[in-house]
Order: sequence, then structure tokens, then C-alpha cells
Amino acid sequence: MEYGTQDEPPYKKRRFFIDPEEDAPTGAHDDEFPHKHPTAVSTVGPNTAPTPVSLAFDQETFESFVGERVEPADLARIRKKCGNDLGMAVNVYLDGKSKDLKKPPAARQPKAPASAPFLSSIAHRSVPESRYIGVFGVEGWATRSGTNLLKHGDIVKIERQKILPPKTARGQTKLGNPQPAQRIAPAAARRIDVIVRFTDSSGRELGRLAKDAANWVSTLMDQNICKFEGTCVYAPERLRTSDTVVLQLRCSLLRSAFFGRGFQVADNRSAGVFDEAESSEERDLRLRQVALVKLFQEINLVPSKANAASAQSQRRGLLEAAELAEAKEKEKPGSTDKDSPGTTPGEENEDGQELEQDQLDALYKKAQSFDFNTPEAEPVDTFAMELRPYQKQALHWMMAKEKDERNKEREMSMHPLWEEYSWPTKDFDEKELPQVLGQTSFYVNPYSGDLSLDFPRQEQHCLGGILADEMGLGKTIQMLSLIHSHRSDIATQARQSSNVTASVNSLPRLPSISGRVGVVDAPCTTLVVAPMSLLAQWQSEAERASKDGTLKSMVYYGSEKNTDLLTLCCGANAANAPDVIITSYGTILSEFTQIASKKGDRLGSRGIFSLNFFRVILDEAHNIKNRQSKTAKACYEITAEHRWALTGTPIVNKLEDLFSLVRFLRVEPWNNFSFWRTFITVPFESKDFMRALDVVQTVLEPLVMRRTKDMKTPDGTPLVALPPKHVELVDIELSQIERDVYDHIFSRAKRTFFANVEAGTVLKAFTSIFAQILCLCQSCCHPILVRNQDIVAEEEVASAAADVAAGLADDMDLHHLIERFTVSTDTEGDSNAFGAHVLGQIRDEAVNECPICAEEPMIDQTVTGCWHSACKNCLLDYIKHQTDRHEVPRCFQCREPISSRDLFKVVRHDDDPDVATSEKGPRISLERLGASGSSAKVVALIKHLRDLRRDNPTIKSVVFSQFTSFLSLIEPALARANMHFVRLDGSISQKARAAVLEEFKESKKFTVLLISLKAGGVGLNLTSAKRVFMMDPWWSFAIEAQAIDRVHRMGQEDEVKVYRFIVKDSVEERMLRIQDRKKFIATSLGMMSDEEKRLQRIEDIKDLLS
Amino acid sequence: MALPKRIIKETERLLAEPVPGISAVPHEDNLRYFDVEIHGPSQSPYEGEVHFAVRYRWRGIFKLELFLPDDYPMTPPKIRFLTKIFHPNVDKLGRICLDVLKNNWSPALQIRTILLSIQALLGAPNPDDPLAPDVAKSWKENEQAAIATAREWTQKHAVPN
Repeated sequence: MEYGTQDEPPYKKRRFFIDPEEDAPTGAHDDEFPHKHPTAVSTVGPNTAPTPVSLAFDQETFESFVGERVEPADLARIRKKCGNDLGMAVNVYLDGKSKDLKKPPAARQPKAPASAPFLSSIAHRSVPESRYIGVFGVEGWATRSGTNLLKHGDIVKIERQKILPPKTARGQTKLGNPQPAQRIAPAAARRIDVIVRFTDSSGRELGRLAKDAANWVSTLMDQNICKFEGTCVYAPERLRTSDTVVLQLRCSLLRSAFFGRGFQVADNRSAGVFDEAESSEERDLRLRQVALVKLFQEINLVPSKANAASAQSQRRGLLEAAELAEAKEKEKPGSTDKDSPGTTPGEENEDGQELEQDQLDALYKKAQSFDFNTPEAEPVDTFAMELRPYQKQALHWMMAKEKDERNKEREMSMHPLWEEYSWPTKDFDEKELPQVLGQTSFYVNPYSGDLSLDFPRQEQHCLGGILADEMGLGKTIQMLSLIHSHRSDIATQARQSSNVTASVNSLPRLPSISGRVGVVDAPCTTLVVAPMSLLAQWQSEAERASKDGTLKSMVYYGSEKNTDLLTLCCGANAANAPDVIITSYGTILSEFTQIASKKGDRLGSRGIFSLNFFRVILDEAHNIKNRQSKTAKACYEITAEHRWALTGTPIVNKLEDLFSLVRFLRVEPWNNFSFWRTFITVPFESKDFMRALDVVQTVLEPLVMRRTKDMKTPDGTPLVALPPKHVELVDIELSQIERDVYDHIFSRAKRTFFANVEAGTVLKAFTSIFAQILCLCQSCCHPILVRNQDIVAEEEVASAAADVAAGLADDMDLHHLIERFTVSTDTEGDSNAFGAHVLGQIRDEAVNECPICAEEPMIDQTVTGCWHSACKNCLLDYIKHQTDRHEVPRCFQCREPISSRDLFKVVRHDDDPDVATSEKGPRISLERLGASGSSAKVVALIKHLRDLRRDNPTIKSVVFSQFTSFLSLIEPALARANMHFVRLDGSISQKARAAVLEEFKESKKFTVLLISLKAGGVGLNLTSAKRVFMMDPWWSFAIEAQAIDRVHRMGQEDEVKVYRFIVKDSVEERMLRIQDRKKFIATSLGMMSDEEKRLQRIEDIKDLLS
Repeated sequence: MALPKRIIKETERLLAEPVPGISAVPHEDNLRYFDVEIHGPSQSPYEGEVHFAVRYRWRGIFKLELFLPDDYPMTPPKIRFLTKIFHPNVDKLGRICLDVLKNNWSPALQIRTILLSIQALLGAPNPDDPLAPDVAKSWKENEQAAIATAREWTQKHAVPN
């Protein structure tokens, strides 16, 4: 803009008072205003302002120097600073104003959506100049005295500016440019600006509207939204100045309201985010918005159709938000440039409130309303894999998103921020109003103050989205099918010319809209950003999914490796450009940092940020959930025509997590954080959850596709069929010694419990009773556990359990019983006690038939002290048979006297791949019978595992127990059996956990994972295991089922067998019955109070002990 | 009650690989009940007539019954001579005095081994541990006469039909 277009540029004025140091071109800012805002010219002139203070230098003089109207308040401030020095005052004013200008008066205010998309454009001509929408009553006060000036029924004109007619050009500016007034603090501006007069038919001012109404009526008039016609309802016959007058105002919407500015705002917004005019624009917007909401409230016009919540609460929220914006503004007047990338507005430092689990569930549930009738798309023939139906649906959806094909159904849904209003058909006096053909309603966006006659369709310009399928549903494959099936025109042509089968794109694509300076189109290339550990996987998947030579992929580790992405991927090299570049978040970050250090200059870069990719895909996109992180900011800056985010958890625990994805996707208007904040964060934090979640849903609905593995198609079949799962209960028989220990503890617990029941102190003694039950459960697993004190599954019981353990330690009977058990299980030295030739002899024995039952091979071959073998049970039966007759047990072969202490189990390590290769057949070892070193459960487990290893030498299993100390007792038994095992429990650090899981997953040999029931976190994936051993039952089967589902989940390819070890005739068996009952009770879902849970558990315990 | 695997296996083997001079055939209606025939061992008074120069010869064939009790093989089979026999360790009712059928029974022994033991007992009567005291007495007092009597009984009773 030329200075010459303005009559008296302010900086010329400054020459009167030369200040050599100051030559800031402040005037430049001012120059732009009058032209940008022609509609605002009708505001107040200088003489309307009352002068509250007596001036040392005349206000008018001062104003004539500075060339614009000056707020009295400002003038007072300047005077205070400069005394009576007019020259200094003028300089101070001009300098100070330039600073003021940078202040956004309404920084927190939501802005209009970048553009309001409309179904059809209604021709300007068919719209009447103005159209009635309603009446309301206002109070005014007289500025004149006299008799019969005004009486009931008199028509009065409502005027904003009497002396200065609107739209005066040029000469007007000299007297008073209204603009600066608006740019000064809004509170002050409002005080002056809002005066609305009413005049009689001859134009004489009679009075003004009361301030509360004038506040917004003035805005509506200034912004050419409404026209008001007044009727006097009541006026005193003898009118005196400041008397109250009641008027009825008849309001009509002006045509200009619909066409005047809506798009202009959008244009401005996209034109330059740094434009200083922006802030004043925003303030107008807020005033307009508030005014409209107030007007609709006054004339009691309610929307005939609105998207979210009720109109009432919406408005209330809106006004709250506006107030909030004002309040914030007062707190920090200095924040600027909130739209500029890379800077951090103050409020972004606040962390959003965390979502409760049930809120998250509700949200996901809404987001998961997947329509199974979505059409499918077939991938092109260069894609080498078969897609499942739901994956084809995703492909169709994704292609539609990229090609901006509008889904017919969605087309009709109204933009979430708009409301529909019907034009009134009758006026206040029940008179018919003229109707306009085809225009029965109009639309208002109460958030932006935009009005429209056209239906505001919900639409976003993001040519991508979020694929949020649960883990295991094949997000990678679906994206690869998209990469194959939708290529840019340039890529297609390049392929055709090089005689490669081209993908058939019957649908025309929108032209590229990249407009960044210094960025070159990479029309053939999809950039995949993934965590470092997944890069190799992406590349191998990409190769697997593509027919030979149809997809070029490369892994990119950064520009320092002499890779020139710019020349490689640019359009000129289309024939040889890679189709997929796979890189890590780290690479993105380091390139971003390099460019950032060069002040954002992309020109020198030849890496990722020098290109505008055809498509960018963020894998595991929750990596950028923190919008403050550098990685997130780096990802926002990647330019691409199509933007996709893949994640199984689009919201980890905050609604703001989603914001970051939306920002990455550049979805207008939600990618603006203050917009997001106003409509999602603020309502959410003020506990208006439903409204916030509703809005989130409308944001998500067009953007997100999410399927879960437990979804079912309409005909009831699961989305992806899991292989079968077989659960088997394994009865465990305690040895006599174990049984003695168990019985002892059982009777103790029973005594305690019923004594407490009788005394009515059950609740008080709850923890100690519960600890005893735990003890009982432990004795089913392993008697030694009873003595341990660090066994406790639940924190609260810890001390009580310690007490119980201490009490048990004092119990000499029990002590003795456990002693017996430990003696009987002490096997040390056994395996070394036999000469190798004995073992060899036993191994080489030709006959492997039991001499007693003729079983072949013997079941649990057992040898006597004189080295004669039989089945374990046959031998034991025979010894029992003899002792029952009071005979000395003798060997069945040599009749040597034998004792049951001197029987040895023959352990053939034929299941053990490490030793089975020996030339003379499998290694064997002897183990003293009954001294398997452990409890019945452990022995049963080892036996199961041995059998398993014999048949499946590389199978992997998971062993769950609620007692970590029990896991510790299983460990040595596994070690003895030469079984590889790893362990995961709560005591392991997060890092070590990952290592353990990785080791288990990668292990190629027979491996056992020992894991505590509670240790597994969210998303623990143990699908590499095929067998599950549940060592002990939990109160509710749901917990066990969860554990089992870590193995039996998406990605599991084989049948899963689950063995639940349950001790016969024990609390464990009764626990199963309680589990059955529990299926109806949602204790684990937090539906019950602690008290209720305890009462429930006492009932359970009663069942256990009776 | 299902027949234990052990009994089935023993029966099968007895039929498939019979011991020379011994046969044991289970009853069809009771597989625990066996008809047993034992040939008198050669060079024993239970051998029967053997005329090397003559047209025919015959052997003494002794019939026994054998029953496997429910707790077999924990307890020994019950076995008894049906054919009358003059033997110091077999009483008038055919009951046999043999240690492996009593205290020295072991589940590792089988029908086959027991029958072999009985056959061996025929070859080596043991008058010191008699079951038929009168037979034992005559055996001790006049062995030749006793053997003659045994041979006579064999010719009389242990004749094939």
C-alpha cells in the first residue's frame, strides 16, 4: 500500500517533533486498516466521547497531530507520562501505539472455520435486502426534555451514527478514523463505541439505548448484520433527560450479513497468519459472535437443528468461553502469533486433564461404530497379498479420502459448529411475512458469528486420516495396499512409460495443492515414519506385499549419508524415484533441528523437508501425542499431499493426544489449538464431558477408521477369526505330606473365620482372614510358600499376611509338617549318586515293559535300590500290597528287601533337544521318588512341559501365577529339566521387561515365560506362545481370562491350549464355583465400593471354608 | 470288569508262543480261567511210557485248572491239578505246594513261569516240604517204590483221551 493514498500519513506529522533515534515505520501498520475494513467505518467519531478529564493540552489539538481519534483514557495515560509536553506526548503516542498494535485484543477467541463449505450457492439477487427475524424490548434513556416528544406507538429510528453517515471515504479519516479505537483495549473501546441513538422521524435525537443492549446492538449495526426499527412502548408524557423509555425493536437481518464478510475472513486467514490485521479481525469476530448470540437470546430464536447438545447450553458455554477469553487476555496481554508454527503460546504449556477409563471407553465406543456396509475396494494387481474384507473396506475408505470423494451419506451431515434457524413466518403482531422461495431457513455459526443461507456441510480438506485399527488387524498391509492402489498421475504415467503394469485410477484426482516455497514435489513417493525398531519390518513387509519390481522402497537414515532425496524423488526423476521411503522419527527430528537452526530455511536442505511428498504415513503415531515435543513439531512440518496417522491408540489418556494427530493431519479448524481448547478442552475440564466428547466424535467421525479385533460382522462372525482355544482343568493330587500341611492351615483358617463370625468382627478382621485364605491358596501351590512373607498379591494384606506367617512360624505342628515336606523333597546329590554304568544299564535295557502291568513303555519308570524297573504305580502298589500284609517289601525280581525311600524315578531326557542327540539314545537320570524336589503342582507342570517338549521341541509356553514367590519355586524345577525360561513380574523395570518380552518372542527354542498374573500391562502380546499354564485360580475368572487373552489374541496363528491346575478337594475347587457365580457380578469394573467388595469377598470366604 | 492289559498280553503270548510241553487255554466265558495241560517231564515218573523200539509211545499229560484272582498279579494265580498225581508236593485235592505260588510269589512272575515251575516240580519232587505227608513219607522211606507208584498213577490217570 502506498503512503500516497492516505491524506496525512501519521509519520509525516512526526516531523514536527523530530526525534532522531526514532524512525520506526509505525505508520505502515496504520495505513492498511481503513481499506481492509470498509464495513467498520461507520463507527463512532471523536466528538461522541464524553471527556472525563480536563486536559492540559487540548484533546483536539493532540488528535490533529496524531491524525486520528485518541481515547481519553489513553490521552490521560500519555499526559501523565509526558506532563504537558505535547511534542513528547505525540511521539510517545505513536511509538506506544505501534506496540499496542501487536497486541491481539482477542487472542483466545475461536476463529471461523477456514471456509464454510456450502452445498449450493444461492444467488445474491434472490435474497431480499433485509428479512425480519424477531422483536425484543429494550430500555433507553432520554437525552432531551420536553412534552409529547414520544408516546406509545411512535416509530423511532435506531441509529448508530448521526453526524457521520456510514461509508464516508477520505475526508472522514482526517476527522476520526474509527479503526484505532477498536485496536485499543477492548474494554475501553466498548465504553465509547457502543452508543446507539434513537431519533424521531425528523432525525432529532431523542435518546440512547441502555448500555447493556447498546453493547451488542451497536456491533450488529456496525457490522451491517442487522437493521433495527423501533417502536415506543412507553415514554413519560413529559420527558426529561435521563428518563427511562421502553422501546420495542424489530430486527431484520440484512443481506450483507450473509455475504458481507464470511469468506473474507477465510481469505484473510489463509493469506497471512502474521498479518497484524488479524487481531483486530478477531476482535470484530468476537463482538459479532457475542452480539449474535445475545440477539438470538433476546428474540428467543432457537435453532431448528443443531448438532451438539442443546442450544441453550451451547450458548451458555459460548458466552463463558468469550468471558474466559477476555479474562485470559487481561492476564497476559503480551501473547502474540499464536498461529505461527514453531512458537509456543502460553496456554499450550498446560497439560490437559487425563481421561478416566470409562470416558475413554465411551469415546472409543463412539469412534468404533464401524459400518459394515462400507463398500470395498480391490487392490491393484501389483499388490501381492490377499486382503480381508474389512481391509478392502479400509482401502476403499482411504482411497476415497485421498481422492476427496465424498461419501454420499456424510455429505448431508451439517457442520458441527453450525445451527439451523427457520425464518419466522409471522411477525410479532401475527402478520404474515413475505417469504422467499426456497429459503425457509438460515444458518448461524454461533462460534464464529458467521451467517449463511446455504447449508453448511461438514467437510474437511484433509486428504488423509487416521487408521486406528487395533493392533494385529494389519494396518501396515492396508497402508501398503493404498500405496499400491493410489498413485499420483505422474507416478502412473512414469510407470506406464516404463512398461510396468500401471494401476488403474478411474477416478480423477484433485490437483496438488502444495504451495510452499522452497519445497519440491515428490509425486511418486510415500514417506513412512516409524519407530527405529520397525524400519526393517516395514521394508520387508513392503517387499512381501508387492509383486517383483512393482515397488521401490528404501530406508533413509538421514542426509549426512550423502543421499540426495531432492533429486531422487523430484518429479523429473519420476521413473526412478522410490515409491516408499522409510525413515525413523529420530531422522525426522534431526533434520528438523538442522533446518530450525538455519531459521527455518528449507532451501539449502536436500532431505525430507525439501520435498512435498505424495503421501506421508506416521506409524505408531501416538509417538507424537505430546504436541510440545520436538518430534511432534518436526512431524507437523513434513509436507505431503496426503497425510496419514496409524495408531492403535489414538488417545492414550488425554483428549489432547488426539489434537496432536489432528494437527499433524492439518484438519481445519481443529488444528488450531485455541479452537480445540475452546470447544473440547474447556468444556471437558469444566466437567461438561458429554459435550466435549460429542464434539470430539464429530471431529473424529470423518477422520478415523477404527476396528477392533472383537468386532463382529452383522452375521455374527468375528472380524478376524482367532484360532480355537481349548481350556482344560488339570486335577492335582496333593501328596500326603502336602495334604497334611493344607489340612492344618485349613482348619486354622476355618476356626479363625467362624470365631470372627460369631463375634461379629468379620469386617474388622477382614485382612487377617483374607491373609489366611491366601496362605491356604499358597499351600495348594507349594507348602514352602506358607513360610514366605513376600507372597502377597494385594498390598493391603501385606502386613496382615506377615502377621499370619509369623503366627504360622510359631505353630510347631505346622513347622513340623513343613519340615517333613522339605526333608522329603531334598534331592541334593541324588543324580550324582549312581554310577554311569547303572544308568547305562537301565537305559539300554531291552525290555521296557513293566513286569507287573505289562505296560510298554513303563509309566513313570521307577527303579528299586537293586536297579529293577517297573511302573511307578505298579511298584508302589506292590510295596503297599506287601506292607498291608505286614510283609517286608521285597523286590519283585530279586526279592531283595526294598524300601519306598529307595525308589528312583527314571528321567529320560528324550524331550530335551540338547541331550537327545547322544549316540546311545537319550540321557537318563534318576530322581528319588517322592522327592521330585517340589510340590505336586510343580511336578505336574514339569510333566506337562516334558510331554509338550517331546512332541513340540520348539513350542513356547506361558506360566501364570498370582504368587511371584511360587514362580521362584518353579524356576529351579525348570532349570533341572533343562528348560529355557524367562521371567516377568512387577519388580522388573520397564526396560528389562521389554528385553524379557523381546527375548521370549525371538526365542527359537522351547521356552517358558514365568509371569505374575498382575504383571502384564496393557497390550502385552504373547502370541508367540501356544500353551498357557494357570498355576492357581483367581477370585474372578475375568482376570484369568485376561491373562489367557494375552496369548489368545490377534496374531495368534495356532490353537491355544490352556491348562488350569486345580488341587482336588481344596479351596481351589471351591474357588471355581465362586468364579462361576462371579460372572454376573462386576466387581472388577469398579462398580462396587470397597466396603461392598469386602462384604462380597467375605461371602466368598464363607463358601470356601464351609 | 475289564480285563487288565497284563492278562491280555500273557494270554496272547501263551497262545502265540506256547512253551513246549505246556498249554494253557482260557475259557471263553471267563478269560481269567484257564485249562492247563502239562506234559510230565522226561526221565521222571510222570513221563509216561516211552518205548523207543515200539510202534507207539505216549506221554503223561496232566490237566490243571488255573484262575487269576482280581488282584493278580499282586497275588499269585490259583492253580490246582485236576489229574490225579502221586507227588509229595501235591495233595489229594490237587493243590500244589510251591513257594512261588505262596510266599515267593512276585508280580514279575507270570502264568508261563508258574507253569514251568510246576513242570520242574514234577521233575524234582521235594519230599522235605510235603503237602501230602503220606506220599512224602513213602517217598522218603522207599523212593523206588514211590517212583513206581507215581509211574503207575501216571499210566492210570495221565493218559490222553
